[in-house]
Amino acid sequence: MTADTSSDLRRKSRQLIKLIRPLLGGIVGLFLVYRLYIVLIVEHPYGPDTWTRLLIAGLILGGVYSLVAIGYTLVYGILFMINFAHGEVMMIGAFSGYFVFEALNAIKIQDSNFLNTYAYFSVLIAFIVGMTVSALTGYFLEKIAYRPLRKAPRLVPLISAIGASIFLQNAVELLFSPQLRNYTNPTFLTRGAGWTININHSNVIIPYTGVFSFVLSAVLLIILYTIVRKTRLGRAMRAVALDKKTAALMGVDVDSTISKTFILSGALAGAAGVMWGIHNGLVYYYTGFIPGIKAFTAAVLGGIGNLPGAMLGGMFLGIVESMGPAALGIDFQLKDVLAFVILIVVLIFKPSGLLGESLAEEKV
Amino acid sequence: MKKAALRQSFNTGIIFGIAHIFCVLIAFNAMLGSLLVKIVGIKSSATTPLASALIAYAVLLGLWAGITAARRKREASGKERLQASLITGFSVGLMAALLVAVFQVLLSDKINPRDYLTNLSFPFMRACLFQLGAFLGIAANFLIFFLSSFLGGLFVFIWNLPAVTSAWHKAFSAPKVWIAKLRGETGKQRRITNIIFYALLFAVIAILPIEWGSYWNYVMGTVGLYVILGLGLNIIVGLSGQLVLGYIAFFAIGAYTMALLNAPEPHNWMWGFWPALILAVILAALSGLIIGLPLMRLRGDYLAIVTLGFGEIIRILLKSDVLTSFTGGPRGIQDIHGPTLFGKPFNDIDYMYLIILAVILAIYIYNRLQHSRTGRAWLAVREDETVARATGVDTQRYKLLALMIGAAFAGLAGAIYASRNAFTGPDEHSLMASINVLCLIIVGGMGNIPGTLLGAFALKGLPEILREVENYRMLVFGALLVAMMIIRPEGLIPSQRPTLELPEDSPNPNPPDLAVRSEAKPTGEDPHDR
Repeated sequence: MTADTSSDLRRKSRQLIKLIRPLLGGIVGLFLVYRLYIVLIVEHPYGPDTWTRLLIAGLILGGVYSLVAIGYTLVYGILFMINFAHGEVMMIGAFSGYFVFEALNAIKIQDSNFLNTYAYFSVLIAFIVGMTVSALTGYFLEKIAYRPLRKAPRLVPLISAIGASIFLQNAVELLFSPQLRNYTNPTFLTRGAGWTININHSNVIIPYTGVFSFVLSAVLLIILYTIVRKTRLGRAMRAVALDKKTAALMGVDVDSTISKTFILSGALAGAAGVMWGIHNGLVYYYTGFIPGIKAFTAAVLGGIGNLPGAMLGGMFLGIVESMGPAALGIDFQLKDVLAFVILIVVLIFKPSGLLGESLAEEKV
Repeated sequence: MKKAALRQSFNTGIIFGIAHIFCVLIAFNAMLGSLLVKIVGIKSSATTPLASALIAYAVLLGLWAGITAARRKREASGKERLQASLITGFSVGLMAALLVAVFQVLLSDKINPRDYLTNLSFPFMRACLFQLGAFLGIAANFLIFFLSSFLGGLFVFIWNLPAVTSAWHKAFSAPKVWIAKLRGETGKQRRITNIIFYALLFAVIAILPIEWGSYWNYVMGTVGLYVILGLGLNIIVGLSGQLVLGYIAFFAIGAYTMALLNAPEPHNWMWGFWPALILAVILAALSGLIIGLPLMRLRGDYLAIVTLGFGEIIRILLKSDVLTSFTGGPRGIQDIHGPTLFGKPFNDIDYMYLIILAVILAIYIYNRLQHSRTGRAWLAVREDETVARATGVDTQRYKLLALMIGAAFAGLAGAIYASRNAFTGPDEHSLMASINVLCLIIVGGMGNIPGTLLGAFALKGLPEILREVENYRMLVFGALLVAMMIIRPEGLIPSQRPTLELPEDSPNPNPPDLAVRSEAKPTGEDPHDR
């Protein structure tokens, strides 16, 4: 009798627990709709000019997030591990770009300097150096910290990645001091300058740096997408993601494919880092950490292991982070909270992300 | 000598050379060297202290390189070992010489790289040349690495001579026999020695807080609190196998409960210490339940990220202006009133005793849980969730229970921490604090008590004792985490798992005779390995 009632109770409590997810979801959804209604329709605090500004900022941020998120997704799709140190790879790219600009700025050519005389060339050099250094960092990261752990339980490489992340952060801090460093951009990419458009009798600036980084991230994303879809390397990557052993039997060099994946994702992170520096102006040893976590959020949001998902997730997260606090009428200090809440909500309600997981499937 | 072996030795040297250059650029060599000089107690008069420290460091690195190179191959002859160490020493010395040559150029051209590489001041660069001037300094750098590497090789060479090896084995086995004799053969003897040991330990623990000054009480109190945190996280990560990265959020909840209920500043509620302590533990456990409920279905690495996000949310919320009126905002909460003992407020010695009591309580609970039915269920969940569920373990319930108990431990530690420091603020609860706790249980050995104690001492106590290390602490942590995962993933003290063993000599084994023995945990294959 007592056993019956207790098992009955347990079954009921389990049913209750099953109800919690939809219930929570309903509460969150209702709250969102309510806040949006209050802010957008009742209070109506901002005009279209402000919304445009926020949208532009969001798109620029989204481009950077997409680039970093692709790195997470590529690595996760192949190794099933979160490359926790990916944000640091981006930070190292940003630092490389900074040093290139500083060096070129120091080279005097007549009454100007190299940086402004050959501005486009300088930017190209900065990106090449940044991407190369980041790619190398990714390569060695994999070789030193992850490769020996290929067969270990899943938590082991994750902890190793956390260790690598801490190490890289502190190495940069100790090498280059913890001070904030100001990017010296060439004049055509002066921060704050841009095209001005008039919306609602108010000037909205579309910054040159922002357009530059957005276009560049779009181009890089297209290049990467083509690599993964069309080239031999991309096919090898997809094969390894699907099944390492079979891929090896089919003649794919698994180790070198994984190395190349890290090189690719590192290069993208490096480009994102240089862009971050050019657009935001300040870099320091902690620069990569928060964007790294956000980019991971973006990757999860789009369905980890899914390339278009990562791009979409990055854009979505950038826009939400920039417009969300305004649209929900909450403090702008809480934009990071919003990103993390999105992460948690997505993981709870749709762990496979918006577009579904897996790098290996047909859609990639 | 074969070409491949030659190249291998040379490459070993290059790797050590790169490590050396990195150490110099972050001035790690100065720290390590001054530490070495301090330990050895050399009083040098010929050169400045910094230069002698750098020489000590260089000799150590050279020895290490030489030993590594010489030990690379197991079945190498003595001559090959010596050759390998020589070649490695040559390449390390070459790179070191190149580095100081660059320094010499910078020095003579008066180019100051300090704006970019923050450690390279002129005095430091001169010290790297051992204050010897251009040519002599470069040569000295090369020679020190070369010779000490050779010395390392020689050391390995002597070590592997058959006579030395056998003598060492004889010497090494003696203390083992001694310890075994001391512990006693029979159960009764063993019990008596155990009792004596624990009595001694207890006496030491009882006396120490009075003997220590307030500084040592502060340091060891922090270590004690981290032991509690480590045990709590060990229940979650070590026993039930869920990686939680935002663990410090529970600590923050405990600390803030204590602070809000006992500080005059934001609310002036003044509940007193003990009710606040109990409420802190309950609230932390409840928050563990609330966080855990929707997350139980997530995969391990997703859980890590979500809890990380949760920790950051708590920190950002505490720091933001939104909750300033409620939690004191970025400035934190000051002037938290502590408990009183017979009318007088707690001093540092009383707090130390309180912490010791809490640590003993935590160890007791942990120990009981570990060997209970619940503990076995956690182990089953950790090893393979699917199998655990198939054998009738209610996995979700046990995972939640682990999270709640772990969170309660953190709440306890947080409440005592806030009360002792009379302050808590959002920056005490950053992600790095979570990772510190994770580090200490990983370094010490996941899932066992001695490991947690060792980890807490090593990671919280040692940096306090060795103040020079402070700047490099996180760097060493990071490197240590990676190295531990590769070399010794089970930690310094590997977990012992109880196994049921039939005693061999008893002809009729009945249940009371079954001896529970311990056996090192085998490193199993990962069921999720795809």
